[in-house]
Amino acid sequence: MAPGAPSTNNAVVFDGLTKSFTKQRSWRALLTRQARETVCALSEVSCEVRAGEFFGLLGENGAGKTTLFKILATLVTPDSGSAVVSGYDVLTTPARVREVLAPVIADERSLHWRLSARENMRLFAALHDLRGAEASRRIDELLALVNLVEAADRLVSGFSSGMKQRLLVARTLLARPRVLLLDEPTRSLDPISARSFRRFLREDVALAQGCTVLLATHNAEEAFELCDRVGVLHRGRLVAVGQPSELAREVGENRFALWIRPRDQSAINALVAQGVIRDAKAFVTEDDGWSRVECDLRGGLDGAAEAISFLAHAGVSVGRCEPVRLSLADLLERVLARHANA
Amino acid sequence: MHKVWALIRSNWLAASSYKLGFLFSFGSLVLSVVPIFFIAGALQTTMANVIKGQGDQYFAFLVVGLIAINLVSSTIYALPGGLQTATSTGTLEALLATPTSVSALLVGLSGYEVLFSMVRGLVMLIAAGALGAHIAWLQLGASLPIVLLVVLAHLPIAILTAAMVLAFRTRGPLPQLILLASTFLGGVYYPTTVIPGWIESLSAFLPITYGLTALRAVLLEGRSIATVWRDLSILGAFTVVSLLASGVAFRAALRYARKVGNLAQY
Repeated sequence: MAPGAPSTNNAVVFDGLTKSFTKQRSWRALLTRQARETVCALSEVSCEVRAGEFFGLLGENGAGKTTLFKILATLVTPDSGSAVVSGYDVLTTPARVREVLAPVIADERSLHWRLSARENMRLFAALHDLRGAEASRRIDELLALVNLVEAADRLVSGFSSGMKQRLLVARTLLARPRVLLLDEPTRSLDPISARSFRRFLREDVALAQGCTVLLATHNAEEAFELCDRVGVLHRGRLVAVGQPSELAREVGENRFALWIRPRDQSAINALVAQGVIRDAKAFVTEDDGWSRVECDLRGGLDGAAEAISFLAHAGVSVGRCEPVRLSLADLLERVLARHANA
Repeated sequence: MHKVWALIRSNWLAASSYKLGFLFSFGSLVLSVVPIFFIAGALQTTMANVIKGQGDQYFAFLVVGLIAINLVSSTIYALPGGLQTATSTGTLEALLATPTSVSALLVGLSGYEVLFSMVRGLVMLIAAGALGAHIAWLQLGASLPIVLLVVLAHLPIAILTAAMVLAFRTRGPLPQLILLASTFLGGVYYPTTVIPGWIESLSAFLPITYGLTALRAVLLEGRSIATVWRDLSILGAFTVVSLLASGVAFRAALRYARKVGNLAQY
């Protein structure tokens, strides 16, 4: 715990955070003296992130993830509410917050491209008050961690996106932060690099370095794979928080895809009418005659037998039945529907 | 201080990695002294009486004026320019997230440009000397505090411009106005005494006027620094007052940028 900071097991606490931005006015609006419009980026967002936790913030573009991160990084001041990082308030003790929290600026351009990886690290080591042998040792240690030892003295301009992302993380870890903010760290990576980068984040950063990690992403798969808990932000509101498995169970556990032949819409309608399945979406029939139908099965996997048996009696073959991994859009749709019902 | 040096060093490494451009910048500087030498030579007879008391040679007078205005230009533009680049590349966000004071970041971001401009000034002076400019070389060391004071006196303009960049994403008209006024009313090409009527009085409000008078007295007349205490005192007072005012403005801009979300916005 930070010296002088209040005792807490939570690494980050935000309470009622609210932030609005004023929209830029057009020339016409300016000349006709129209009032400025505001956009609500965050509205009464409250949550606690435990020390050592890998916490995901899921939301579509413009949901408020980046604004929340910028408030935590002391780059934006909230209109109301409070945010506390390792016991330090972002409004009253921003310098202390910057000592314990580090945002990984995922933009590759924030590196000095005309410097080598080692020189980039050396600059930020100095800015974090690391000097001499201690700085060199830490730089070597981190370059080894992110597997950039061989490329350490090459200009960053020649690095691949994956290498730059790893260097950005290494740069952030220089200060041994207790809280790490990752804003869409895999957005510029190909699927294979993204997977290996996720493994690196989980094993080498979160577990080995003992950091509390807040990850903002619009990739549901990424959040579910990495995070201990996930919060769903929608239009500035935190609409759900929970463990990925819990959240998936609540909103998507019963979602299955059935491969049927022939595509018999009346049989599907009958299943819906009996309440065995709901929210059925039929997809394009392929050349071999199999059609994919995505639906919620009553009772989850147990209900699958009932549906398959019904379809068999109706003369429809079922070639495959598999759970469906929810996309962010599906997840949001369901979370919001549940939120509205609640 | 080590943070400032780290920033200056990284800017130097980045700039010098463009080796050809780096060499050309010095080559063109040396070459630019040649036409100045001929033009000043042609005007020597006309200007001899006018520049009395500020060296006896118009070529040296002109070279010192040009070195000073280049230095002023670098000082005024380096900080807002550095800030604009750092904002557009996202580096500013990363820098601001470190436990580094804003003043250290500002000096660090602009320091290389200003130091480089000083080195360029020295190269220009040496090139002019090689062409026969009458320079009191023994007074070179004594001119350094004057040069530093000229830089410091223009730093508040840079800070105010940086505040504009931070808050409104534009430099505004201030740096251009100051540079224009300094060039034509500050004694760069001719002494301020030849400026007619009320316009001459405007030169009294420009820090470069005092800086150039002091610099020429020391570097061209070979006088000691003590003889220009009056000019240096005015320059010093101007520096202190305007630094305080610009500091307040910058802090206000920083608060505003944090409020409207401009601070780390490309």
